Amino acid sequence: MLNPNLFPYLLALSAFLFTVGATGVLIRRNPIVVFMCIELMLNAANVALVAYGRFLNSEEGQIFAFMVIVVAAAEVVVGLALITQIFRLGRELDVDDLSEMKE
Amino acid sequence: MTVLFAVVIALAAVSSLGVVLSRQTIYSALSLVLTVSMLAVLFLLLNAQFLFAVQLIIYAGAVMVLFVFIVALLSPDSEDRPTLDLRAVIGILGIVVVTSLVFVAARNGITYNTNGFHGVAVGSANNPYHAFSFPQDAVNNAGNVQTVAGQLFTNYLLPFEITSMLLLIAAIGAVYLTRRSSQ
Repeated sequence: MLNPNLFPYLLALSAFLFTVGATGVLIRRNPIVVFMCIELMLNAANVALVAYGRFLNSEEGQIFAFMVIVVAAAEVVVGLALITQIFRLGRELDVDDLSEMKE
Repeated sequence: MTVLFAVVIALAAVSSLGVVLSRQTIYSALSLVLTVSMLAVLFLLLNAQFLFAVQLIIYAGAVMVLFVFIVALLSPDSEDRPTLDLRAVIGILGIVVVTSLVFVAARNGITYNTNGFHGVAVGSANNPYHAFSFPQDAVNNAGNVQTVAGQLFTNYLLPFEITSMLLLIAAIGAVYLTRRSSQ
């Protein structure tokens, strides 16, 4: 039987990974690293889902985490296609410079 | 068991910092491989064998190979170390405040205690999650993968089919985005 005192640490790990990923999205300028930080945030959500599922004796957490992994894979495919396309246009890879849509 | 949890949690946290703080993009990618692998081990420790395999195959395998491939293809310049500007200060404050708040809240049983949600025992009749709760005996008898599959292909069949549509749309979108424009 799993020690129930572990649960706060798992949720804290989830919160830590999520906030580190969010900080990375804020401070990094390379779009590839920004995408990695988004992956980090999605993984943080998975940790919380699996931890809740384990401690509530439910399989639903795992099923939802599986859906999150599928969505993350789809997001990576489209995101990296966008990055290669930006690179092909001869632009510098810097998210602070890629702001035409604002104007 | 507890020592193993501590090692895995510590490694995952440290390597996630490596993703954000590395100057070279390839080191960020390798740190992310370590984070994702540690989370896979964590899933195994939490009795989610199916997710352990999926995490290793899809994340540590497919997604990270794609990332390393793109890094090798584009070879982006190394960035300066992130400076301590307003965004970084907000980020560090967010990490400290949110992590400690969640830890203290979970420690005091805000969302979960040994009896389940808000003290209502798992599996009891007045637990709102009663219909979905999965008795440990069923998992022990059939194994984790089989119980997950049983739920996935009965109660969650429609979401499962929708994710297959999503993957198809993503594949078509990637082909459309990366095609050479014929002027």
